[in-house]
Amino acid sequence: MFTLYLKTAWRNISQKKGLSLLNIAGLSLGMAATILIGMWVYDELSFNKDFENYTSITQVMQTQTFNDEIRTDFNQPMQLAPVLRNDYGSYFKHVITSTFSFDALFTVENTKLSHTGNFAEPGMADMLSLKMISGSRGALEDPASILLSESMAKAFFGIENATGKSIQLGSETLLTIGGVYEDLPRNTSFSQLEFLGSWDFLKDNQGWEERTGWGNNWFQVFAQLNEGVDVEVASNAIANAKMDNLSDDDASGKRLKPTMLLHPLKKWHLYSRFENGINTGGAIDRVWLLGVIGAFILLLACINFMNLSTAQSVKRAKEVGIRKTIGSIKYQLISQFLVESLLVVSTAFVFALLLVVLAQGTFNEITGKAIIIPWDSAYFWISCLLFILVTSFLSGSYPAFYLSSFKPVKVLKGTFERKQNAVSLRKVLVVSQFAISTVLIIGTITIFKQIQYAQDRPLGYDKSGMFYFSITNEDMRDRFETLKSQLLESTDIEEVAASDVLVTGTFTTNSGFDWKGKDPEFGDEFLTLRATHDFGEMINWELTKGRGFSREFKSDSLAFLVNETAVDYMGLENPIGEFVQWGDNGKFKIIGVVKDMVTRSPYTKVRPTIFTLHYGSFLNYINVKVKTGASTVAALSHAEDVFKEYNPQRPFTYQFLDDYYEEYFIAEKRTGKLISFFTFLAIFISCLGIFGLSAFIAEQRTKEIGVRKVLGASVYAIWRMLSKDFILLVLISSIIAVPIGYYYMNNWIGDFDYNTSLNWWVFALAIFGALLITLITISFQAIKAAVMNPVTSLRTE
Amino acid sequence: MITIKDLKKSFRTEEVETLALNGVNLHVEEGEFVAIMGPSGCGKSTLLNIVGMLDNPTEGGYNFAGNEVAGLKESQRTQLRKGNLGFVFQSFNLIDELTVYENVELPLIYLKMGKSERKQKVMEVLERMKIAHREKHFPQQLSGGQQQRVAISRAVVTNPKLILADEPTGNLDSKNGIEVMNLLTELNQEGTTIVMVTHSDRDSHYAHRVINLFDGQIVTESKNREIGAMV
Repeated sequence: MFTLYLKTAWRNISQKKGLSLLNIAGLSLGMAATILIGMWVYDELSFNKDFENYTSITQVMQTQTFNDEIRTDFNQPMQLAPVLRNDYGSYFKHVITSTFSFDALFTVENTKLSHTGNFAEPGMADMLSLKMISGSRGALEDPASILLSESMAKAFFGIENATGKSIQLGSETLLTIGGVYEDLPRNTSFSQLEFLGSWDFLKDNQGWEERTGWGNNWFQVFAQLNEGVDVEVASNAIANAKMDNLSDDDASGKRLKPTMLLHPLKKWHLYSRFENGINTGGAIDRVWLLGVIGAFILLLACINFMNLSTAQSVKRAKEVGIRKTIGSIKYQLISQFLVESLLVVSTAFVFALLLVVLAQGTFNEITGKAIIIPWDSAYFWISCLLFILVTSFLSGSYPAFYLSSFKPVKVLKGTFERKQNAVSLRKVLVVSQFAISTVLIIGTITIFKQIQYAQDRPLGYDKSGMFYFSITNEDMRDRFETLKSQLLESTDIEEVAASDVLVTGTFTTNSGFDWKGKDPEFGDEFLTLRATHDFGEMINWELTKGRGFSREFKSDSLAFLVNETAVDYMGLENPIGEFVQWGDNGKFKIIGVVKDMVTRSPYTKVRPTIFTLHYGSFLNYINVKVKTGASTVAALSHAEDVFKEYNPQRPFTYQFLDDYYEEYFIAEKRTGKLISFFTFLAIFISCLGIFGLSAFIAEQRTKEIGVRKVLGASVYAIWRMLSKDFILLVLISSIIAVPIGYYYMNNWIGDFDYNTSLNWWVFALAIFGALLITLITISFQAIKAAVMNPVTSLRTE
Repeated sequence: MITIKDLKKSFRTEEVETLALNGVNLHVEEGEFVAIMGPSGCGKSTLLNIVGMLDNPTEGGYNFAGNEVAGLKESQRTQLRKGNLGFVFQSFNLIDELTVYENVELPLIYLKMGKSERKQKVMEVLERMKIAHREKHFPQQLSGGQQQRVAISRAVVTNPKLILADEPTGNLDSKNGIEVMNLLTELNQEGTTIVMVTHSDRDSHYAHRVINLFDGQIVTESKNREIGAMV
């Protein structure tokens, strides 16, 4: 019986070539999109799952209350881990202090390479269950040893065993390689961990014990729970671990009400957002968004199948009638139609896989992933099989039940008429298709509008022609003035200044400032930017009050410039001349007010910022401005020569501030590209559907069109008659799509502090777009039917 | 074999109710060949559809070979129809996607007959209808007469007790029409009961009995010959 179903199905598909082509094209596109999104979602959901201790690893986070907001961060003081180990030891298998990942320069004989890694307490290797190729996880008990990843070891030693050999860190320190571990998988939080050094070594080397206290949140702390310990319980238990240990006279520390909490590994990737100290989601929103889009695109393709199948019901009705007369039972007919959809869907799936292979590279580029089809995974093929079955059922069940319900007597007598409810259901389906497409169009326009809006945001300074490179040793810092004059020897370079952070990325915050009229309970926090004298002029900032830093005033070493937001924040009426006490750093005089500048993400609001003069150990970057019209290549090459004088061994790396700033748009541009890609697909699939449907309707009305033409109807009148119904459907779908699109996109732009508005024209454009696309699609069929010679159309009856 | 008592059938549209059959009484003996005649719209096809269990009467009784049919559900009617009834239509009603062989095989498949037995039966009937050489062809590749021979093959392949023919020669030229009528007569002589709707006086002469229907009622009945007598 099944082979007969299959045979009949195959003949049906191969005989109605145009229809099958539309069905298969729509379904393959839809399925390909769904497979891509499915693999992406799977990749996101399986993030970090490669760790053996996936369920027990946590990160200790810290929630602090600042004056106007509650923030939760990774940063922790180094004093925390010992307290957790001693006072709360029963909860934890490991408590580990670690640095954040950073780049370090390593040397073996003549090979010098920069690699990324952490310095952490010895338990880290065990907690991450590093797979050792040689050596042991315990090697870090010896502070003079280091563990290398397989690829880093290979870079230095080829394939020979590196364990036991020496490697030089920085300019002089020699470390012994205690072991080599397999590279960590790509989609984990530690994929960048190319080396793991000893915390004790770095701590002593940097003198952190003496330099830092509970207030210096410079590190991160990981904790692995003991078996059977509930995260919530342990998290609640340690809440006051820091607060209880702050000394009584640390009023500014206590004012921030530091609360500890545990953030489990399984939530790091997708639930990383904290609002008011509460974990409120994160990238999971994007997973949902894309997942829903994927489901919708598949639905669109299935709707096409349903519409085209039920539209040709008149043709299939005869077959159903005959089969029933001969003795077929309803369920046999249902099975037959389902087999037919199974065959179409399976064929489409083969093409879909092909499309996925072709689109894989581009998709990975857009999403920033490295997903490959797991050809050898049984799970993959089982999922594919399920996917085919679900899609077949989704698209084939309605036509199957609908077609198999025909009464043979009506069909065979020729009095068969299409059921009214099938026509209206088809209309509902077309409306939902266009509603989905229109919502996607609204989304795409809004995303790009928001990106454009942020890109057009006035920065308040000029970063054109500016690049920077890092200060990599004391020599560069100590002899900055010399280095500066050497750089200025080039006729291509206009100005040089050093700073601790970049004007495009001012992330340093400081608190503990005191000024006249400050409420003692006010938990202050400022962004700070330390720079040399010419920094301000170089970026061409605008002073609204007072003056900038000047070499003429020696006292400017104890002077502040503040931005307008800081003036409001501090509540100063006349800021110029006011004094601000900055902890132990001294009493600073405010000499000028800088117009607000966008020094962080352009989507966020400007934060209170303090600028100070600085020529000491905090300087991290040399900023260089290239003269307008001068050769950047020459300027860069000159800068490299100067850099090499101080740093003969290090490679010269630089970045333009324009490029740095552009990185703020990557995530949104990525989302924008993805959404527009899928919007295009959705529209295209919907168009395939109405293309087929309009062909059908034109065919059904051939006789009517002929009669109308004989009676004198113009081509335009026929076109209008055939298009009218679809236009109406698109308009109805717009009415549904506009509020949905408004609701979601209003929420989306609400996530940004600096956001565009949803103007009426966004919706008008989306509706107009949908209308135009529909008109073009159906006009093809409508005009074809309208220009047909009426004699021919009448003869077809 | 067939006993119909006071049968009524009405069709309802939104505004009007049409009475297609209005109190029909009919008895058909086993082995009989009955022709139903009458003008368009007199209810011939409706009657045939009810006799063929494709449709239910609105009122009245219908007994088929000892089973009361009126009021049965569609699935029950399908069960009763399978193997007992064969249909021949004016427009042949072959499935375009199936070959001659597969079209004839179909009722046997629905009877869940084994493959080899099916093959034997199909070939037997195709040879008898002189269409076996076309078994691999699709309906559109055949002439009208050939298509109707396939349709008859399909109707008789299950050895039904009753064949219902709805203007079986309506779409055929006279030569092919005569051939088809001869085939039906042959089947009837072998014992199959036949009920045929027709417009054609010529065709009606092949039947034992002619029933004239007008406005949903039997107006006259005439006998051509006795059962078993030759034309």
